[in-house]
Amino acid sequence: MAAKTHRVLPGFGLALGYTLVYLSLLILLPLGGMVLKASELGFGQIIDIALSERSLAAFRVTFGASLIAALINGFFGLIVAWILVRYPFPGKRFVDALVDLPFALPTAVAGITLATLYAGNGWLGRYIEPLGFKVAYTPWGIVVALTFITLPFVVRTLQPVIEDIETEVEEAAASLGASRWQTFVKVIFPAIFPALLTGFALAFARAVGEYGSVIFIAGNLPLISEITPLLIISKLEQYDVLGATALAVVMLGLSFILLLAVNVLQWWTANRHKNNEPLEVTAAKAGGVA
Amino acid sequence: MKSTRATQEPRWVRYTLLSVGLGFLFFFLGLPLVAVFVEALAQGLPVYLEALKEPETRSAIGLTVGIALAVLPFNIVFGVAAAWAIAKFDFKGKSLLITLIDLPFAVSPVVAGLIFILLFGAQGTFGPWLAEHDLKIIFAVPGMIIATLFITFPFIARELIPLMQSQGKDEEEAAVSLGASGWQMFWRVTLPNIKWGLLYGVILSNARAMGEFGAVSVVSGHIRGETNTLPLHVEILYNEYNAIGAFAAASILALLALVTLVAKTIVEWRMKKETEMLNTVLAPEKT
Amino acid sequence: MSIEIRNISKRFGNFVALDNINLDIPTGELVALLGPSGCGKTTLLRIIAGMESADQGEILFSGAEATHLHARDRNVGFVFQHYALFRHMTVFENVAFGLRVKPRKERPSDAEIKRRVMELLGLVQLDWLADRYPSQLSGGQRQRIALARALAVEPKVLLLDEPFGALDTKVRKELRRWLRRLHDEMHISSVFVTHDQEEALEVADRVVVMNHGKIEQIGSPDEVYSSPASPFVYQFLGNVNVFHSRVQGGYAEVERHEASEKTTAFVRPHDIDIALQPLEDGLQATVQHVHPIGPLVRIELQHNSEIVEVELSRERHEALQLVVGQAVWFRPRQMRVFGADQLPRSTPEKQAFLF
Repeated sequence: MAAKTHRVLPGFGLALGYTLVYLSLLILLPLGGMVLKASELGFGQIIDIALSERSLAAFRVTFGASLIAALINGFFGLIVAWILVRYPFPGKRFVDALVDLPFALPTAVAGITLATLYAGNGWLGRYIEPLGFKVAYTPWGIVVALTFITLPFVVRTLQPVIEDIETEVEEAAASLGASRWQTFVKVIFPAIFPALLTGFALAFARAVGEYGSVIFIAGNLPLISEITPLLIISKLEQYDVLGATALAVVMLGLSFILLLAVNVLQWWTANRHKNNEPLEVTAAKAGGVA
Repeated sequence: MKSTRATQEPRWVRYTLLSVGLGFLFFFLGLPLVAVFVEALAQGLPVYLEALKEPETRSAIGLTVGIALAVLPFNIVFGVAAAWAIAKFDFKGKSLLITLIDLPFAVSPVVAGLIFILLFGAQGTFGPWLAEHDLKIIFAVPGMIIATLFITFPFIARELIPLMQSQGKDEEEAAVSLGASGWQMFWRVTLPNIKWGLLYGVILSNARAMGEFGAVSVVSGHIRGETNTLPLHVEILYNEYNAIGAFAAASILALLALVTLVAKTIVEWRMKKETEMLNTVLAPEKT
Repeated sequence: MSIEIRNISKRFGNFVALDNINLDIPTGELVALLGPSGCGKTTLLRIIAGMESADQGEILFSGAEATHLHARDRNVGFVFQHYALFRHMTVFENVAFGLRVKPRKERPSDAEIKRRVMELLGLVQLDWLADRYPSQLSGGQRQRIALARALAVEPKVLLLDEPFGALDTKVRKELRRWLRRLHDEMHISSVFVTHDQEEALEVADRVVVMNHGKIEQIGSPDEVYSSPASPFVYQFLGNVNVFHSRVQGGYAEVERHEASEKTTAFVRPHDIDIALQPLEDGLQATVQHVHPIGPLVRIELQHNSEIVEVELSRERHEALQLVVGQAVWFRPRQMRVFGADQLPRSTPEKQAFLF
């Protein structure tokens, strides 16, 4: 290192070097290996595998159930985050800690428990099934499992944002004659919307890849309730490594797009209020463009 | 009292939101948590204890703990090194590096397992070489450790990076200007400052390491008594219609989750106190 | 220990933080680096401490090359702007840190460390806080602990980054006096960074005024205040009236436009005379505001469209009895003229406005 970049704090070279080598071995090499393996197939064949009837059905189930689960959590997560921040109630600290249960509880445990609860003779299934609505061993079971697994995301991204809302802003709205509902729609909701969207996207991304909790409750019928991760595993078990790889590469690509979307959302959330330049500067810039 | 504050919803709205929110949490979190223990104890405590004494269950517990312990030092060293480089220095490509660290969160556990099969499996890149040297990674414990590493390594780094960034470099620079060597600075100044964040990351990564299912399942080969972790054992017992055994094993994992939540809450509380302390130290006096 | 700074330059990306700085700090002096934020003063201080490295140039300590000496080997005491106290250590352990991390051979015994630390805490008058943690101290107390910690390793040079910046006015004044005394007792060289002109003028032996990475002027507090070397120094140190003028025949003409060179005349508010009758070489103006401020009375005059600020003593004001709206004449006792190149223009001993 040249004298000009001498740094006072020690260990930069060592720490960064270690980090890069570690990441290369654990992440880049294996992922690169997979992409290389997939390239044996060629683009056309990957598309063929991904668009085969069974794969398409699996993608549809996976993404559809994930979307519904993320929507459910978007709605209820907003309510949960709101009451956890704003309303006092007994046992609040306990409930707050419990929200992280899906992060802490192994997915297999969640899977067998939910399957037992919603089965025909389960605590919930015995009341739901007579109504003509079957949850366990249907795509709805997948939705239930994914809702459980991704429950914390929306709540946890919204909580700090709701905490940060200054009550003065709401008081100002009220003093200007807005009803509580108008205040919520016009003042509060716009402030928390990016976080809600981020939480939604995080939940969705996690749901798409989930495996452990789903397989117990899904029934796993090809074309009906088979998720893509399970299809990858069954291809692997039939020694169809290339087929599994093709599907994995497609999933990985979709995951990256989701990750990118989440990053952009988080950047937006963090930066959209940073534009606090004096009005003249903004005006000057706008004028420069116009 | 009739009067409500301007920034409060009408009472009926509050009660509706409270019941909807808490009801949702009850059905989706509370009920499953209770169900694990009720199902495990469905035929009484003796049967439950008997199920836990089963040798395969016990070896699964041993393997789960073993893998978690094996993974821990790697994750700690990586987390501290990555956070040190990222939080205390400026260099090109930093945000790319952070994204790379986040990557495992976006990868399906099944895909995470698959990539190591492609690398170390019988038909994998290094497969023939490994077979020649009689080394077994896939369908053996080393593969399970590697897959767990992939899944869990970001937790500590992600916890430490923002923490160390918020603490800044001043204290370390002060230590150096007072004559401390690199190690003295690390042990006496940096480590005490990050210990709660580090512990928090350890708790999270440990919970995930012990509970990981998808990735480990793919590389384990499900060899009973050999490559069965507790979550995998839960699956086997459940698929054999041994509900008591499955839920007995699951109850241990659920207990572990509860311990994790309690520990996490305590550490969160400690960290909040530390942040408040930091803020008072950094806050300028009012002028 | 003396410090010599030779041709030091430093950039951060495209931003030039320091541009060819040369500065000598003799042993025992208390020097202030004064300038607005972003002028490079803190960067210069950090380069002297070894916290930052210069892109070019060199630093000599007592005549010996120290440019590439590591921060821990420079024997420099550094007091950070926000003190950087180790928050998980008690006050005692903070001060003892520098002694405890010495190599085993040089490390004093525990008893000796205790004695030295308590002595230093006595020096900063905070020995009764030895068992507290930094978060339990007030800002002024933290500042003094940070100083005691820096002094514990017996540095040859004491460097302070905005030492009083985060304190309230009263504590700041107290600490200023106290720092001056401490410096005189310790017989070390001290350099401190500040953006507060009053602080620099009151505490330092010498003031280095910086702007845009360059040194504008080096001099005693009196020199930089009374004879500023550049328009920037004039405006940065104290209030000043600025007149756009031209130099003609040795006079600074404020209002004639056919003159040769565009110049700017600077006059301090307390260097202006006011009279009720027409003055030779004076300008006429109207009294706009009269503000008594402590021992002074600040008058705002309007001359054409320009506002001129004048400071009078209370006695003088009582003699004049100015009222708002009154027509008066004013004339500078002293002024300085700078050309468009920012360099001073000499004018004859009598500097005045001309009509």
